[in-house]
Amino acid sequence: MPRRPGVPLSTGAHMRLELIGKPEGCKLLRMTIDVEPLLSPSSRILFLSIRGDFFAIPEEAFDEIEEALAGTTLGELGKKFDGLVEQKRLECAGITGHGLDEIVQKELHNGV
Amino acid sequence: MAYEFRLLETGFHSAAFNMGLDEALLRSVAEGNSLPTLRFYGWTPAAVSIGYFQGLEEEVDSAACRAAGIDVVRRITGGGAVFHHHEVTYSIILPLGHPLARRNILESYRLLLGGIVEGLSLLGITAEFAPINDIVTGGKKISGNAQTRKLGCILQHGTIILDVDVDQMFTVLRVPQEKARGKLIEDIKSRVTSVKLCMPQGELTSFESLFALTTQSLKQGCVRALDLVFNSSSPTESELQLAEQLAREKFASETWTALR
Repeated sequence: MPRRPGVPLSTGAHMRLELIGKPEGCKLLRMTIDVEPLLSPSSRILFLSIRGDFFAIPEEAFDEIEEALAGTTLGELGKKFDGLVEQKRLECAGITGHGLDEIVQKELHNGV
Repeated sequence: MAYEFRLLETGFHSAAFNMGLDEALLRSVAEGNSLPTLRFYGWTPAAVSIGYFQGLEEEVDSAACRAAGIDVVRRITGGGAVFHHHEVTYSIILPLGHPLARRNILESYRLLLGGIVEGLSLLGITAEFAPINDIVTGGKKISGNAQTRKLGCILQHGTIILDVDVDQMFTVLRVPQEKARGKLIEDIKSRVTSVKLCMPQGELTSFESLFALTTQSLKQGCVRALDLVFNSSSPTESELQLAEQLAREKFASETWTALR
C-alpha cells in the first residue's frame, strides 16, 4: 500500500519521508528519504531514493549519486546533489538540486 | 552532404523485444558493425513503458495490465510512463562523433526532432519542439521522446500518437496522488492530441493506413530536415539474437522491471 506523500513513519531509529512535488523547471519528482528523527534541516539522511520522469545521463551514475547522498543533512541535499552531478559529469534535465531542496523545504516548513 | 543511415521497419512486437532490439541496435552501431540507424516499429500487445528512474508501482497498475494482457517494460531511457497502443514508435541511433550528434541534451532533442516535426508537416500538421522532450501542435502534445547515451552513441526513441484513448490509458497508469483522477483525465484530454485528430481526413482513416502514412511522412521528414539518405535493410541475425536474449534476460525480468 503506497504511503501518503509527506507522512513520516517513525521506526524509532529513523523516520521515513515520502515526498512528491513538481518544482519549477523540474519534472514530477518523488523521493523516499530515511532520516534521523526530530525532523530539521540538520537531520542526517540515512537512505534516499529519487524517482520521476526526469533525465540523467549516464543513468548508472545517478544510482551512485543516490548512494553518495546518504550521510548528507536535509538542509544540504540540493547543494550536495549539484556538486555530485558536476563531479560525476552527469547531464540532467528535469531535475535540479534546487528542485529537491524546494520539495524538502516544503516538508520542513509544514513542521512534520 | 547527405548522411547515410540504415532504415529499419521492424513491424509490431512485444515490449521486451522492442526494447531489446533498440539496445541491440545501439550496441551494434557502437561496435561499428552497423550504420547509424533509424527504426520504425509498433507494439503488440499494447504496452506500458516506464522511464528508467520511475517507480513501477507508483506509475503502473500492474494487476490491471496483467488482466488486460498489456505488457509492462522499463526503458533504458529516462522520461515518463507511456501507454503504447495506437502510435508509431521510432528509434534513432548514432555515434556521439556523428555530425548530427549534440552533447547537450536539449540541443540534441531539438536537432533530431526536426525530422519528426518535418514529417508531421508533410501530414498537414504544424508542430514544434516543446522542451524538454515533447512535440506539440496547437499547444497539445502529439509526440513524447526519450534519449540516452551509452557506449559512445546516442539512442533516442519516441512515439507519435496516432489515436488516443485517455480513459483506457488511465485504466493502467496510476494517477499522482495530489491530483483527483477525474480532473487529471480531463486535464490530459485537453493537453494531448493525435495524428487522427489533426490530419485532414484523419478521422476517416484506418489505423493501418495512418500507421503507413505517418511512417512514410516521418521517413521523408528525416530526409529533408536531417539530410539523411537511407539504406533500407533488416536487423542482422546477430542483432536479432541479441535482442531476443536481452528481451528474455533483461527487459522481461522482474528484477529489471521493478528496479525502482
